[in-house]
Amino acid sequence: MILLSSSEVGFITDFSSYQALMVGLGAIPGAWLRLRVVNHFEPLVPRKHWGTFVVNLVAAFALGLVLGLERAGRCDSSAGSTALILLVGTGFFGSLSTFSTFAVEVLATLREHRWGEAVLLTAGSVIAGLLVAAAGFSLGLVDA
Amino acid sequence: MPEQSPSLRTELQELMLVAVGAVPGALLRWQFEVLLQDRDVLVNVVGSLILGLLLGLPYRPRVQLLVGIGFCGSLTTFSSWMVSSVDLIYSGQTLAAFGLIGMTLGLGLGGAALGLWIGRRVYALAIKPSAPPR
Repeated sequence: MILLSSSEVGFITDFSSYQALMVGLGAIPGAWLRLRVVNHFEPLVPRKHWGTFVVNLVAAFALGLVLGLERAGRCDSSAGSTALILLVGTGFFGSLSTFSTFAVEVLATLREHRWGEAVLLTAGSVIAGLLVAAAGFSLGLVDA
Repeated sequence: MPEQSPSLRTELQELMLVAVGAVPGALLRWQFEVLLQDRDVLVNVVGSLILGLLLGLPYRPRVQLLVGIGFCGSLTTFSSWMVSSVDLIYSGQTLAAFGLIGMTLGLGLGGAALGLWIGRRVYALAIKPSAPPR
C-alpha cells in the first residue's frame, strides 16, 4: 500500500500522513476558489448567498461523479486511487462546498423575516443539490 | 525584483489566511468521516455553531478569512451531505436520506443560531463595556 518509499519523499514516513497531505493539498485551492467565486458574485447579485449556492452545486455534482466512478469500479483499490480520491473528493470538492456559510445565510434571511427567500434558498439548495449529486453519481455509474 | 502591487499582496495575504484555516478544517472533517461515519452531521453542526459565534462578535476581516472562510468553510461540507443523501436514496434507504437532510438542516440552523446568541452575549458582557465610548 505504500505509494512512495519514505526515502523518496523524505519527511513523509507513513501512509496515513501521505493521505493527510493529499487532503490538505486539495483543501487549499478548494477554499480559495470558494472565496474568489463568492466575492465575484457579490457585486453582481444583491445577495451574497447565491455565490455559495453556485459553488455548492458545482461541488455536489463533482463529488457525486467521484463516488459514482468509485462505485462503478473505475478506481482500483491501489494507494494511488485512494490518494487521488482524497485529494480531489475529500480535499478539493469537500472544501469548495460549505455548509456553515449556507446555514448562517439561511439564518440571516430568517432573522430579517424574509421568509420567502429563506424557503427558496433552503429548498432550492437541497433540491438542486440532490439533483446534481444524483446526476454526477449516475454519470459515474454509466458504462463507457 | 519589482515591488509587489498592493492588490497582489492583499490577495497573497488572503490566500495564506484561508489556507491556514482550510487545512486543519479539511483534515478534521476527513478524520471525523473515518472515525464516526456519521455522514458529516457533527462537523456541519459544529462548524455552523463556530461561524454563528464569529458573526455575533465584532467583525474582523482577517479572523473571518482564517476561521470563517478557511476553517469553518472547509470543516463543513454541502457536497458530501448531498452525495450521502443520494447514496442512501440509491440504496433504497429513502427515509434515512430524508432523515439526514432534515437532521443536518435543523441541527445546523440551530447550531448557527446558538452560536450567534452566545457570540452576542459574550460581546455584550465581556467585550463591549471595556471598549472606549463613542
